[in-house]
Amino acid sequence: MRVLALIAVVAATLGAAPAGPPDILVSRQLLARAHLAIGDVVTLAGDSSGARARRFRVAGVYEPTPDPMKFNVERIEARLHLDDLLSLASDGTDPAWADAISVINVNLKNSSDPASATAFSRSLSARTPFIFAAPTRDQASTTFLVIDRFHTAIAVVTVIGSTAFLLALMVIRAEERKETVGVLRLIGISSRTIMTEVIVEGLLVAIAGAVVGVLIAAGAQHFVNLIFQARYDTTLVFMRVSRTIAMRSIVVAVPVGVVAGAVASWTLLRRGTSALVRR
Amino acid sequence: MTAFALAWRTARRYRARAVLAVAGVAVIGALNFDMLLLSRGLMLSFADLVNSTGYDIRISGGSGGPLSRQPIDNATPTMKEIGALPEIAAVAFMRTATAAAIRPTRPPEGLELIGSSDPAGLGIWKQVAGSTLDGAGGDVSLPPAVISRPMAERLNLTIGSTLGVRVRLAGELSAMPAVSLRVTGVADFPFESQNAFVVATTMEGFARAHGGVLNDQAEFMFARSRPSAGPDAAAAAIAKLRPDLRAFSNEQLVANFAKNAFAYFRQISVVLSTTTAAFSFLLVATLLTVSVNQRLGEVAALRALGIARRKIAATLLWESALLVGLGGLFALPLGQLLAMVLDRILRRMPGLPAGLHFFVFEPQSLVLHAAVLAATAVVAAIYPMWLAVKLPIAQTLRQETVS
Amino acid sequence: MTIVEAHALTRVFPMSAGPVSAVRDASLRVDRGDYVAIGGPSGCGKSTLLHLLGCVDTPTTGTVRFEGRDAGALTDSERGRIRLTRIGFVFQRFFLLPMLTAWENIELPQAEAGAPAAARRERTRALLEYVELSARADHLPSQLSGGEMQRVAVARALANRPALLLADEPTGELDEETGEHIAALFDRVHADGTAIVLVTHNAALAQRAKTRLVMRSGVLVTT
Repeated sequence: MRVLALIAVVAATLGAAPAGPPDILVSRQLLARAHLAIGDVVTLAGDSSGARARRFRVAGVYEPTPDPMKFNVERIEARLHLDDLLSLASDGTDPAWADAISVINVNLKNSSDPASATAFSRSLSARTPFIFAAPTRDQASTTFLVIDRFHTAIAVVTVIGSTAFLLALMVIRAEERKETVGVLRLIGISSRTIMTEVIVEGLLVAIAGAVVGVLIAAGAQHFVNLIFQARYDTTLVFMRVSRTIAMRSIVVAVPVGVVAGAVASWTLLRRGTSALVRR
Repeated sequence: MTAFALAWRTARRYRARAVLAVAGVAVIGALNFDMLLLSRGLMLSFADLVNSTGYDIRISGGSGGPLSRQPIDNATPTMKEIGALPEIAAVAFMRTATAAAIRPTRPPEGLELIGSSDPAGLGIWKQVAGSTLDGAGGDVSLPPAVISRPMAERLNLTIGSTLGVRVRLAGELSAMPAVSLRVTGVADFPFESQNAFVVATTMEGFARAHGGVLNDQAEFMFARSRPSAGPDAAAAAIAKLRPDLRAFSNEQLVANFAKNAFAYFRQISVVLSTTTAAFSFLLVATLLTVSVNQRLGEVAALRALGIARRKIAATLLWESALLVGLGGLFALPLGQLLAMVLDRILRRMPGLPAGLHFFVFEPQSLVLHAAVLAATAVVAAIYPMWLAVKLPIAQTLRQETVS
Repeated sequence: MTIVEAHALTRVFPMSAGPVSAVRDASLRVDRGDYVAIGGPSGCGKSTLLHLLGCVDTPTTGTVRFEGRDAGALTDSERGRIRLTRIGFVFQRFFLLPMLTAWENIELPQAEAGAPAAARRERTRALLEYVELSARADHLPSQLSGGEMQRVAVARALANRPALLLADEPTGELDEETGEHIAALFDRVHADGTAIVLVTHNAALAQRAKTRLVMRSGVLVTT
């Protein structure tokens, strides 16, 4: 069982130990599941057989930090003083049980610099061969990099599919204007002028469409988060339309819209004028 | 001329838009198909992985779930006790430890050390070269080791090579001395992550790596039931013999995995397959509606000539079915290709078993894909059909003549 | 024998600016062998009257009886059946199906009426000869001239041997010479026994009709 060294946090949270059972904090989910209330005295044991059972007082309830790696797991957890946890977890056969933990979290002074975490980890691993140190950013970020790439791949596929449809619609729109374009060509308006008009029109429509799309997405994110947060009983944010994402969407949508309109019109303009005006 | 023939001729007449619409449906349909593959892919893959081993029962200690690593004390007598049951054909247990490969003048390379009571690992690893742990080769005074393929390639190890391994002990204030193992075989370890360095050895080798002092504990215990009994009866027999242990059949293991592991991907597959179906519907419906609006004069003339509404509606339905049907067909090979790409992306997730895949084909996916497409084609055609059958003939003829 | 009889027809269209009476108290009887031309200024209600006679539209008040049956009492599909088998329509803008050849455009109403394949082939061949377009049978409308398209439209209108041919400005999109050919075609159709009611601005075409009527502001007057 992993034991997190929370002495400073737990001590600060729980304050000075009163007489009577030691204090613990329970997660909101555990409080609800076990129908507990603050002040209740509970029994915790090291295993289901009741080994090393001890009584504790529920001193408070906390909301577990949302963890994307555990979002589908019900957060049934409690936080204890480290020595209480060690006494529960260890079977006593290890003579160093009172001093043995499995993980230490380290917060560096210059934690904003990722390079410092990597350097510190390497240095520590080299100096203490029985200690394995790694920046926490690495494992988590690799997972999310993979998920990011997965979502990006899906987005790319969706854009390709919708571009095909957009082109189809633009071809129909261009067909509708066949006679108008033919008459314009007949009276001497150049293809270039017509294409420019089409491109400008397409640009305006594409910008408007992209902005509306971003607004719809921003509205949808609220519902997506509501649904998933309710489903998984978490405060994690699943979807966020950031400024970067909005800009990226507009940067993709606008040229696609303009190009689709221009391509469709080009298919029309390359025909002869007589073919355009003929019914 | 049948409604289908009319629809086909319309598609041929307006070739460009038809081709583009089919392409659009194919791409979105491919994504939809992949989401169907994803919805049960992990579970099917895990089931394949588990069923490809040599065991059909997993035993854990205490109150843990089937995937937990609750240790089992007194592993050796427990193994013998369970092995003696008439329902059980074979039993083995394993332990793991974090270790490092020690080479002169080279920095240590981290690896996972597995100690197995069964020389063949009860099918946990798949031999690709050499022999299992009971093979000869190299210095026979040294404990045998089967190593993973990436490790063999990267460290240039072959059958008969000697490998230095040092175990890392959590919570201990001293480092263990390195022990030498002789490589008897190279294997794939599908339950470990890709490119992982894995060394499997005997329990004797594992104990030697721990300085010869090791408690008789098992991290995993597996059993194979006799064909005459089956895994459920065998699991029940183990539970009766040892109520302090929990025995799970592979089927229960898979069900537990399906419920708890990678729920995100099941959820995302539901969300995305719903979204892509809605997307396809919207796009096909929009295309057909715009197309009908462009042909209102034709439609009104046909109605004026006495062509039945039913036929006009059927023609539009067939137009929708053609676009969606053809697109859906092309979506299949496209979907397979896309699934390979997406699978490759997702399998880079750290810690993922090498033998696990996210996108797995099953016939049920094809049936669902066809059903979704059929529903999309029908629903997308509803509004355009309604437009066509409800249009006021005289007014439309007038408008079309004037415009 | 009376083919269609309209009595005190009125058709009012509700508009945002107020209701518009396109046809007011119009009465007309078309018998077998009749050839009626209806003229009048644009917007006087000629096409609306034609639509009422052809069971394409229903009057606000008044009755239309087609071959003795009250069209207002029929269901939509019954009216459609009448249009398919007893009436032929020719439109100003032809309205041929662009993805079907001349042959297929003419065959379409016959197939809808349930005619067997052999009969359809024979009839379509005969009609193409009738309109002198046998050589263009496999051509799409986009490959035909305006006059040729209108001749195919006439052939299509005659496909199911209708009792009545209704034509709305059949020469409206054609030049004078081509219009002359279409007018001659209508003469032949009439001579072969089909009653014709056509709406036209073309005086030369109107002259060929036995009965010439004029509509003014929705009211039908006899010249």
